[in-house]
Amino acid sequence: MNAFAYATAHSPGSARELVANRGLYLAGGNDLLGLLKDYLLPAPQILVNIKSLPGLNRIERGEKLWSIGALVTVAELERDAEVARVFPGLRDAASEIASPQIRNVATVGGNLAQHSRCWYFRQRDVPCLKKGGDLCYARHGDNRYHSLFTGNDCISPVVSSLGTMFAALDARAIVLRDGKEMPMSMAQFYEKAFTEPTAHNSLAPGDLILRVELPATRRRSVYVQVSDKHTFDWALVSCAAAAEVEDGKLKSPRVALGSLSPVPHQVEAANEFLDGKAPDEAVVAQAADMILKGAQPLEHNAYKIPLAHALIRRALRKLGGEA
Amino acid sequence: MPSWPTETRYLSHPVPRVDAAAKVTGQARYSSDIQAEGWLYGMILRSKWPAAKILSINLEPALKIPGIRAAVKVREGEFTVRFYGEELAAVAGTTKQACLDALHAIEVQAEPRHEFVVHEDDAKKDDAPQVWDGVPNVSRPRTTERGNVDAAFGECAAVIEGFYTTPVQIHHPMETHGHTIFWTDDGLTAWSSTQGISSVRDSLAGALGLEHSRVRVITDFMGGGFGAKFNCGVEGILAAKLSRAAKAPVRLMLTRFEQALAVGNRPSSFQKIKMGATADGTLHAFEGENYGTAGIGAGAATAGGGGGADIPMPYLYRVPNVRVKQWEVAINAGSARAFRAPGNPPASFGMECAMDDLAVKLGMDPLEFRLKNDPVDIRRREFQIGAEKFGWKEKYRKPGTSPGPVKIGVGCAGAAWPAGGPSRNTHGEAQINPDGSVEFRLGVQDIGTGTKTVIAVVAAELLGLKPEQITVHVGDTNFPPGPGSGGSTTCASVSPTVYDLCQKALQQLQTQTGVADARGENWFAACKKLGVTPLVVHGNWIEGLSTRPAYGVQFAEVAVDTETGLVTVRKVVAVHDCGLIIDTLTLESQINGGIIMGMGYALYEERVMDDLSGVVLNPNFETYKLPGIADVPDIEIVLLNMPERGVIGIGEPATVPTAGAIANAVANALGVRVGSLPITPAKVLAALGKVPAPAASPT
Amino acid sequence: MKNSEPDDVLGAHSRRTFLKSLGTAAVTAATAQVRSVAAELEKVNAEKILGPGPVPVTLRVNGQALSLNLEPRVTLLDALRNYSSLTGAKEGCDRAACGACTVLLDGQPIYSCQKLALEAQGHDITTVEGLAQDGKLTKVQQAFIAHDALQCGYCTPGFIMSVTALLKWNPRPTAEEIKHACAGNLCRCGTQPHILQAALEAAGVKVQSKTEVLHA
Repeated sequence: MNAFAYATAHSPGSARELVANRGLYLAGGNDLLGLLKDYLLPAPQILVNIKSLPGLNRIERGEKLWSIGALVTVAELERDAEVARVFPGLRDAASEIASPQIRNVATVGGNLAQHSRCWYFRQRDVPCLKKGGDLCYARHGDNRYHSLFTGNDCISPVVSSLGTMFAALDARAIVLRDGKEMPMSMAQFYEKAFTEPTAHNSLAPGDLILRVELPATRRRSVYVQVSDKHTFDWALVSCAAAAEVEDGKLKSPRVALGSLSPVPHQVEAANEFLDGKAPDEAVVAQAADMILKGAQPLEHNAYKIPLAHALIRRALRKLGGEA
Repeated sequence: MPSWPTETRYLSHPVPRVDAAAKVTGQARYSSDIQAEGWLYGMILRSKWPAAKILSINLEPALKIPGIRAAVKVREGEFTVRFYGEELAAVAGTTKQACLDALHAIEVQAEPRHEFVVHEDDAKKDDAPQVWDGVPNVSRPRTTERGNVDAAFGECAAVIEGFYTTPVQIHHPMETHGHTIFWTDDGLTAWSSTQGISSVRDSLAGALGLEHSRVRVITDFMGGGFGAKFNCGVEGILAAKLSRAAKAPVRLMLTRFEQALAVGNRPSSFQKIKMGATADGTLHAFEGENYGTAGIGAGAATAGGGGGADIPMPYLYRVPNVRVKQWEVAINAGSARAFRAPGNPPASFGMECAMDDLAVKLGMDPLEFRLKNDPVDIRRREFQIGAEKFGWKEKYRKPGTSPGPVKIGVGCAGAAWPAGGPSRNTHGEAQINPDGSVEFRLGVQDIGTGTKTVIAVVAAELLGLKPEQITVHVGDTNFPPGPGSGGSTTCASVSPTVYDLCQKALQQLQTQTGVADARGENWFAACKKLGVTPLVVHGNWIEGLSTRPAYGVQFAEVAVDTETGLVTVRKVVAVHDCGLIIDTLTLESQINGGIIMGMGYALYEERVMDDLSGVVLNPNFETYKLPGIADVPDIEIVLLNMPERGVIGIGEPATVPTAGAIANAVANALGVRVGSLPITPAKVLAALGKVPAPAASPT
Repeated sequence: MKNSEPDDVLGAHSRRTFLKSLGTAAVTAATAQVRSVAAELEKVNAEKILGPGPVPVTLRVNGQALSLNLEPRVTLLDALRNYSSLTGAKEGCDRAACGACTVLLDGQPIYSCQKLALEAQGHDITTVEGLAQDGKLTKVQQAFIAHDALQCGYCTPGFIMSVTALLKWNPRPTAEEIKHACAGNLCRCGTQPHILQAALEAAGVKVQSKTEVLHA
């Protein structure tokens, strides 16, 4: 890493001032320190510790709305009994993230904001498009881990497990920008990554994620992923689903997929199709077809299509009550 | 005629490792832990180009970085680099941070070559850029033949043709390569993470123009080698030069990133196999063509040799009519080095897959097919023992008939470790002190295999003492020399040597003290009679106590999710022999280790290169995937103790058959073959016909 | 060995003196004003910019204070291994992927390679060297030895920290829970099966080896 100064902020305002145009926020540090060790970012002159910002590390359980502070760790999310009861999919997503050592320091905000894991982006000596270079090396290179749906020349997909689950839970990130709180749906949070090759998400420099708000409806939630290994391995594809279930029928269902697109991949038409239906074999297969319609497989990632199809079917069946 | 005792207290029993306490308390000091007075941190600058002419290297800006005490180039003048990660220069400084900053300050003028190849199939093309100027990328083929293979195929009742491939595998020991080196008035001392203190000494002495007697190499604890850590490496030479220039000790350990680039790997294999058998299941004809890459070649940049891409074909089973043709293909990537059973895991994989494919075509049980064609009695017995423990008869079904969507399958494969044998050049020293304490000194290494414990167990057994009473010192070129730890030869080298030392010590003890048999209860009284002077004897390897080869078989049961492609290995049963078992506990560990490494080879590991940039895409543990504890199956081991065969090694045979057994289990589960390692979900889904073609024109 | 001069000691001193001089006057408005000024000052003090050159860092490791001068970019692992003699935690990858550097921070396993040393201040850091008390090995350490849950030993301190932490909050884990807790530790020698056995034994679960020795 290059040398940097360090300061601990005690208010969002001073954090913003300290960061100015020469610094970065430091939460858990899993992603940021890794990026700095490989010189993947313009060297920040200062890292501003935001872990002491008051009020951002709480889970607030309201009747209608939950609020999960951006500084809540993934481990806390995994271990919280109420989270497990009310949002089991979120608990499952949290428990599959990385490893215990990482979960103990990783924050909700950090998991959402983490940078691309594309191995070209992460390779210090490859001047890829996302780093401001001319070319997306993955497009014609080894793209086995990359997107099926893209909106720009960069094909790096979103890998945030929490972001994927939050998408299915209709959660909103509350982001502080220039002193004002801005709510962003997951779609909005990642929108810029879909349209701009150099973006990892829609955060602007200086933006601070404060919390994530989730409506606490009587929603069931499910999260499944498959990786090459059984643990501590990025998902090849992940699927998050949530819905209310009445008489075996889905109400207001949402299905979101990770690792397929720069944003958690959702298809409104599929959600509408599923609404009011029991997720039997035929229904879930049709929903999966709809969700994956328009996928543009590249040379090495076409396997994600049948894989995603299977995960969608399983997630929906599990949602409906099938083991 | 020397012989091992038949009734034993320690030999062939479970004995805890003698250095375990040091390891579990953090007291064990590895080369990367050595903190000599005034030590400096060393770091290497590497080529970011896969091929380039280096015109000049300017170290001046690096030397100006505060804390930097020395900077050296790999060589003076212009030179050519041929792979991403090849060494250019190195710096030494008071902190890691200073070194990082210094590396960035070094100015390198280079002419990158835009023509390079990093994939075997590209390197084979007629118009491929040459890795070495004027030298074809493809070596001349080596052909072996026996019998009349063309006629023989005509006589076969069933013939299969298959294409089986294995990737480049990286050793990735948990401790990286490197040394802590310092100069004294007498010469140079290196604390090296190595499998070969003698070869490190030789290579350092040679590179620095020193007499061997002025170079001392010490390896007390080291964090794994698997074949890659023999000579001192470029990093050792750089560390020594930095230390000399800075007049201070230098600790230069590679980073994990560098491990993936420049310090060895297992060559890939692309095996075309055609094999036929007669109606009664007797193998009759085998034709194999194989090529693979050893990177830029086992030559210039390699340290330790044994890294060629040739594999033993056909493997294990008896075939009378054979034709084999093999080539090596050079690419712009780091050279191969010997890697745990060089050539054998890929050979086993190809052959065992072909065996199962042919058995299926014949409509024969694959186990029966093997028993029919295995020429080795011990191994046939192992297959039978293993089959019973595994429940082969109950578990084996016709391929693909397991009810889905998660299909269960079983497979098996055999092993042999024919090469290697004990080293006659093993020497040692035993010192018996008047207080009864005992010290053994051997110039061998314990690379995690338990060599120190082997020495303690043998000595304890023969002296009538407990292993805790034996103080074992290894890993110092000041001790009587021994072989490098490779080829699964160490156990068979040290055990007879310790035997010789014990015999001599007991004899000397008798001569000096008059005590007829000092073993066991008499020990302390006898030693007291030594007076003030310890007794020291020298010994070496003796005949009659060790042999080779070792065999082994493994059975695997897998569950394959046919909807997601995920492979889970549920169980492995391993039956192994290694002559006289020294310590069942450490032997279990070796076998577990071989199986888990073989499983990584089968399902997760491959070095991935990028065509356009020439870089290694996965130079880390995130995307070069090693098995985690949750991936590891239930492993059951049957050990055949054969004291009459003497001591034999186990490290390598344990890893040979695993990938073949797992691949066969997957094929048995699916009813279709995935012939390419690693067997990823993507490949399983493709084999099942579930993967659509890429989009016509990716935008 | 790696010491350099800390900067800006004087600034902190003046602020402390000023704060002390504010006293404890009971007048509400004055107090409020004092509090807000004090709070501001405390904030400024806390938001003091450290580095980029070396700054004093005090780490509480295994119950002992370790006083060092470190650049902010120095990781906890680097501080332990290269600025002190606590080489028990190992560097396997320096990228939070292998677990060889695992230490406990307030009892929780973390990757010390991905934690800035100065951020570990104010926490209890436990390394493998801090487990055995008066030379007596812990149950976990003894079980590792008895089951040969180590080979080259390089990954061992990391695994021991992960298992030790697990058994503190879950004294009787299932095999699945042990695997979950050890998912962040890699081993190349293949100790995993023995580690599982050792962890179960340390948890009081009887473990039998399934290895059969046949005399052929």
